Parts: sequence; C-alpha cells; structure tokens
Amino acid sequence: MNLPLLTLIVFLPLFGAAAVALLGNARAGVGRITAVAVAVVDLALVAWVTVRFDVSTGMQFVEKAVWVPQAGITYHLALDGMSLAMVALSALLTVLAIVASWKTEKNPALWFSMLLLLEVGMNGVFLAMDFVLFYVFWELVLVPMYFLIATWGGPRRQYAAVKFFLYTLFGSVFMLVGIIALYLQTGTFDILEMVGAGLDPKFQWWVFAAFFLGFAVKVPVFPLHTWLPDAHVEAPTAASVLLAGILLKMGSYGFLRISLPILPDAAHQWSTFIAALAAISIVYGAAVAFAQTDMKKLVAYSSVSHMGFVMLGIASMTPEGLNGAVAVMFSHGVVTGMLFFLVGMVYERTHTRMIAEVSGLSSKVPVAGGLLAFASFASLGLPGLSGFVGEFLSLLGAWASDIPVGWVVVSAIGVLLAAAYMLWLVQRVVLGSPSPAVDHITDLSRREVLVLVPLVVLTFVVGIYWDSLLRFTDPAVQSILVMMGGA
Amino acid sequence: MSELLLLAPELLVLTGALVALFADRVTTHPRAAAHIGAPLALVAAVVAAVIGTRGGIFAGMLSLDGMAVFARIGIAALLAVWLRWVSGRGTGSERSAEAVALAMLSAVGGMLMVSARDLIVLFISLELSTMPAYVLMGYRRDDARGLEGALKYFLLSMLTSLIMLYGLSFAYGISGSTAFGDLGVVDSGTLGQLAVAFVLVGLFAKLSAAPFHYWTPDAYAGAPASSVAYVSTVPKIAGVVALAQLVAAFTDNGGTVVPVLVAGSLLSMLVGNLAAYPQTDLRRLMAYSGVAHSGYILLAVASGRAGAVAAVFYVVAYAVPSMAIMLLGSEEGTALDDLSGLAARRPAVAWASVVWLLSLVGIPPMVGFFGKLTMFTAALDSGLLWLVIVAVSMSVISAGYYFRVLRAVFFGERADACCATRSPAAAVAYAALTLATLALGILASPVLELFGLRL
Repeated sequence: MNLPLLTLIVFLPLFGAAAVALLGNARAGVGRITAVAVAVVDLALVAWVTVRFDVSTGMQFVEKAVWVPQAGITYHLALDGMSLAMVALSALLTVLAIVASWKTEKNPALWFSMLLLLEVGMNGVFLAMDFVLFYVFWELVLVPMYFLIATWGGPRRQYAAVKFFLYTLFGSVFMLVGIIALYLQTGTFDILEMVGAGLDPKFQWWVFAAFFLGFAVKVPVFPLHTWLPDAHVEAPTAASVLLAGILLKMGSYGFLRISLPILPDAAHQWSTFIAALAAISIVYGAAVAFAQTDMKKLVAYSSVSHMGFVMLGIASMTPEGLNGAVAVMFSHGVVTGMLFFLVGMVYERTHTRMIAEVSGLSSKVPVAGGLLAFASFASLGLPGLSGFVGEFLSLLGAWASDIPVGWVVVSAIGVLLAAAYMLWLVQRVVLGSPSPAVDHITDLSRREVLVLVPLVVLTFVVGIYWDSLLRFTDPAVQSILVMMGGA
Repeated sequence: MSELLLLAPELLVLTGALVALFADRVTTHPRAAAHIGAPLALVAAVVAAVIGTRGGIFAGMLSLDGMAVFARIGIAALLAVWLRWVSGRGTGSERSAEAVALAMLSAVGGMLMVSARDLIVLFISLELSTMPAYVLMGYRRDDARGLEGALKYFLLSMLTSLIMLYGLSFAYGISGSTAFGDLGVVDSGTLGQLAVAFVLVGLFAKLSAAPFHYWTPDAYAGAPASSVAYVSTVPKIAGVVALAQLVAAFTDNGGTVVPVLVAGSLLSMLVGNLAAYPQTDLRRLMAYSGVAHSGYILLAVASGRAGAVAAVFYVVAYAVPSMAIMLLGSEEGTALDDLSGLAARRPAVAWASVVWLLSLVGIPPMVGFFGKLTMFTAALDSGLLWLVIVAVSMSVISAGYYFRVLRAVFFGERADACCATRSPAAAVAYAALTLATLALGILASPVLELFGLRL
C-alpha cells in the first residue's frame, strides 16, 4: 500500500490551517510553530516525491478515485516534471513566507492559517488532473489571498483585494464556460483524457478564447494586468512573494497543461496573437518599471515583463521555447520572491519604499545591499544565474518558430530594458552614500538571511547547472509537443 | 390508508402547526412551539427520505418522483433549521407561537405543491404555502412600514395568483383535464399561449423573478428579518419545483414557454444584480440577490429536463446560505453597518458567513458552485451560450455586493459593541446550514442519486 503522497501534499496544509486557526491568537506562538512545521513537512514530502520521481516516464504518483460518476468527474491527482517544479516552488515559498513573517503581530493565527490555506490551493492547482478539481483549487486560492491583502495590506488594501478577486473571478468564470463546453464535447472532465479528442478547429478557437481570458488575467498578459500593481503594492511582503511566485504561474501553467495539449489547432491559430501580447507585455512592463519611484511597484511591473517571456516561450511551441517558459516560471518565482522579500525587509527598517529616499544600502547594511544587488542581477538575466536560462531559451525558441521576427526582436529589446532598470535601481538604492532613512538601520537578522539563502542557492544551481531543472521539465515539454502533434 | 401514510411528513408538520397554536395553553415555556416543531420537522424530513420515490398516488393527483422527494426533504429540513433557530432566539418582541404555526402551515403547502400533478391540487397547495407568508411578513403589528410591505406583498401576490388561476382555467378549457399529463396540448394557438403566459406570471411572482419582483425589496425591508429568512427561502423551493413540473408538462411540443423563461431569466439577472449594489439594508440586498438567483434558475428551467433537475438542486443551494444570512441579520441588525466588526465579536459566525456568501457567488467547493456548474452545463447543452455568458458575468458582478457584506463583517468598525447573547440553538442552526453549504456540493452526486436524479 503506497501512501497517497499527492493527497497528503495538497491537504496536509488544510489541517495545519485549521489547527492554527483553532489555537487562536492567545496561543499564536504554538500556532506559528505548527504552521512552519506543517509547511516543512509538506516540503519534505515534495522532496521525497522528487527523489522518487522517474524522469523517464510521464505522469506519476497517479491517484484516481470516482467522485461524480454520472458526469465523469474524478478525484484525479498526478504529476509530471512541470507540475513537480511548480509544486516544489510552491512548497518552498510557503515555508519561506511563514518564516519571513514570523513576527506578524496583527491577528497571527489568521495570518498563518491563511498562508497554509493558500498552499492547499496552490499545490492543488498544479497536481489536479480533473477540470472540476482544478477549478476548485483555482478558485480556492482567491479566498486566502483576498484576506491576506485586505487584512494586512497597505492603505488601499480593501480596494486592491476586491479588485484582485473580481478580476481573477471574471477571467475564471469564462474558463468555467470553456470547461463545460469541453465536457459537453468529450463527455469527461479528465484533463488527460481530453487530449487528442479531435475537436473541431472552430470549436477549439472559441474554447481557447474562453481559457485565454481565464489564464491571461492570472499571468497577467497586457492589457489584462491592471490588477497586479495594485495588488502587489498593497499586499504584505509574504503575500506579494506568493502572488508573484506562484499565483501568476497558475495562469501560464494553465496554458501549458490545458490550452496547448487539448486545443492544439487553436493554439497554432492564436500563437502570433499571444506572441504579440507577450512582446508588448515585456516591453511595456519594462518601460513602466523604469518610471516607478516605488521599489515594490518596480518589482511588480518587472513581473509583467518577465511573465511576457513565459508567454513568448509558450507561443513559440518549440521544445526550447516551452522549456524556457517553464524555466522562467521557476526562476521568476525564486528571484522575484527574493526581490519582494528584500524590498519588504528594507521597508520594515526604513518605513519607505521610495527609491529616492533609500540609498547607500551597501555601505550601511552590506548583507541586505549585497543580496539586493545579487537578486537584481539574477532578475535582469545575468548569465550564470537562473534568470538567464529561461529567457535565453524562450527567445531561442521564438526565433526558431514561425512567430514574426519583429515580435522576437521587440522582446529581445526587453532584455536590455530589464538590465537598464535593474541596474539603475541598484545604482540608486544599493550604491551611493546612505540617505537619512538608511542611516540608523540594522542589517538583516539571522532569520532573514535564512529565508534568502535557499533562494540564492537555487539561483546559482539552476543558473550554472541548467540540467538540474531541465531534466524535469524537458520530458513534460516533449510530451506536450507530442500531444499537440498527435491531435 | 396506506396512501395516506405516504403523506406522513406533511401530516407530521401539520400536527406540529396545530400543536404550536395551542402550545401556550399547555406550557408557560416561551417558544415552546418552536421547541416542539423543530424535532417534528426534522423527523418529517427523515420520514420523507425513508419513504423515497413513489409513482402516482391518490389517483395520480400526487406523485412522489425524485424531484418531489428531494424538495420535500429540503423544505422539511430547512423548516427544522429555522424552527431550531427560533427556539433559541424567538421572533423579537412578538410571541413566536403563531409564527411557528404559520411557517409550518406554509411548509405543508410547499411539500404538497412539489408532488402535485393536478392543477387544482397545485393551486390549493400554492395558496396554502403563500397565505401564511403574508402574515409572517407583517408580523410586527405596530410597525407601519412592515404592514405596508406586507400589504403590498399580499395585493401583488393575490393578483398574480389570480392571473395564474385564470391561466389555469384556460388550460383546463383547452385540454379538458386538470392532470399535468394532459397539458401537452395546451401550448398552441393564442388562447394556449395566453394560458401559459398567465401561469408563468404567477410562478414568476412566487419566485420574485423580474418583472414581477417589485414587491420583494419593500416587503422584505418592512418585515422582521427572521420572517424574511423563512419567506425568502423555503417557499421558493416549492415554487421552482412547480415551475419545473409545469414547464415539463407544457413543453411536450415546444412552444412559447422557453422564450418567456429566457426573457425572465435575462431580466432577473440584470435587474437583481445591478439593483443589489446600492443597497445598504441587508434585507433589501438579499431581496435583489434573490431576484438574481431566480434569474439563474429560470435559465436552467429553460434548458430541458437536465436543467430542471439542476434548477431544483440550485434553489436548495440558494436557500441554505440565504437563510443563514438573514438569520444573522435578524440577530445583529439588518443595516450593513450593523454587521461591522462581527469578526471580532463572533469569529466563528463571521467565518461561516464567508462560506455562505462565497457559495452565493458560486466559488467552489461550496454548494453554490456545483449548482451553477450543473445549471450552466444543462444550459450550454441546450444551446443557450449567450445567456450563460450573461449569467457568469453577472455572478462576477454579484461578488461585488456580497463582498460589501464581507467587508463590513471583517473590516468594519463598530463603536457600540452590542452583542447577541449566546444561544446553543442558534449555533446548531448555523452549524447545520454551514455544513450543508460545504458538503451538499461535494456530495451532490450521491445525494441526487438517492432519488434517481441525474445531474
């Protein structure tokens, strides 16, 4: 009898969340230890799955049980290398988010239980292979994120939280219509069984459009990105990390897991359009990031730009491009997580995120300044660090594909822009002489360094030894391409 | 005799109603009526489940098919929950015995209505389920606004009932029979179309579907919230089942029913969701939300047999959290501001309200999502794509006003921290409603399977 490992990975945090909530604020000390313990055990389970994962076969650790037999709805969890990379990231960032927000004073029981509830949804989305189950987790994510932003956010938190919720809900209800339409055509809700159903191209086009709305809002793709800066600026640090690190990836994961394999004909029809939006997102995000005076907003817009590379890789539909897309997803989760953590840590000390008011971090707080510079280099795609891998592969794939060259060139310009705004940020914030706000602050505590070390290590490992990531993603990507060709 | 036994659930509730009327003579315990009624209603629900489905009884006047059984259990169970709550909280300053008796009589009407297969039985049980509601809505005798609302409700409801009766007489004239089975011939020719339209007017009004919804916000806003909790939920279950049965009977050969339903659905979704936005009173907000949900339900009813099942499932999915929210409003006050700071005062109830409200939006894993999933599946299958798109867009819009409630509960500040006293009975009611909201959806398939219904 094998342990239902994936079920444990998904639902263990649910019990953790309940336990932490029941312990209440009076015993918040025990609560947060419970929270971190649950998250660490969850991460350990993911690690155990990674060790036992066989890169030479496709879907593994399959758990399938009948749920609603009349409608072909099953409780179906499974994972391939792509899912594994995302779940690993989700489990890791949850642990780090909990540790980073260790000192939360406002209603800590609720805070930690919401983080764990969020993990249930995040893990579930990447492991669910049934549409109804997928949708359940997809929507489940919104609720804790709403409360995380609305309770612990900045001054306009209410507005940002509702905007986030409504925007994503708007996208996802159209996805629901697409799901129902697919069900009526194929008679099943199983994502894997729908592949190769030989659907009519015109029908595919419309269903693709419905899914596009659902996924593109989440990614977010220009011009559906306007919820993101508000949500990020108002969100507390840990929520920002998970929002950028995981929630955005749910959208691109949806394209890779669902839109491409199930709707291959439509994917080919849509690819130029998506590539165009991707190129615009890359350049627009970068250009707007340039103009920001708020560090957090700068990182938020840089996310729009980076997620553009994911979409570019997806639109290329080549092995390099898709691998690049997954690699950017992973690397962006790590690097942007690091950036948001650091911006949060600086903000806690200086009480400002304004770039103009913060300077000279490296001379006053060398650890924080150095790490911020490191994260910035990783973010701009310095070779040898993880950011480079995915963006390089995405562009490579885009060159090799039938995407009009113009859009690829535009995207490549985005790389230059990223270097420019990141270096400018480093120059203003990290270098120079300490500003008054920086003058009396202390350097990172041991706990804070502990949060960042795993991310730094991952940035190096993936950046130098590409195969550490690609050996997992490549088989998954190849099988997506086979599914697309086979239809 | 044996056929009468099949009506044991109705008889149990009827007994409860009669006992409630005289409970004060026997015991001095306040709210004794509700204390007796709640277990009786619960037993009635269990008995109804045990009896299960039966074909035509009483010479085909009644039929306990899957839909009827499901609705019968739903009505009795929700009645039990409502009575349990009343047994803890009472009905404000007024005596609660009469309210209990009226609600139980109304439930008897509803339970008969869902199994009716004859126009006369249908109409009588419809009136039986509505008449007590008029009194419940104007239960506070000294409240002029309440009386005005109740009078409005009474006049409009009577008017639409009579229009419906007029339509039924046409139907009888055309088909020469009052049995549902013979109604297939009605919907043709001008007279037949008028008959169908008139009947639908009556049922639209019972569901407070646009454009016959005007009485709802005023009537609800004048009524005690505890009455609204009952009147806005339980009678609707019966109304939807009757609508589904009649539509099935009328649409043997296509006809005018579907376009009318589609128009009503579109109008209700738009009016309900948009008009709910500016409301600051929970009762008015929920009134418009009810109009909107009737719109979704009409969409499903317009989508054939699978849609009808989905509609009946959904009306229960709507009734459960709506009742919970109105009961909460009855305890805390019905202005949105009254709910401010609830999360600090009563965290458990506050989190339960998240479950209720998100279920009404249609967020999984709550029952509202599974209800919408089945309804929209049926509607898409019958080619109503454009209306489904309106419906899903409207559910996003509805999230906006439900979130205003959530916002008050979690992020509102309230200086005078009044607090309802603890009441185990009310806690039981909330727990039951919350559990149902969470579990009914996940267990939708076995629940419906029990009664031979398929999603």
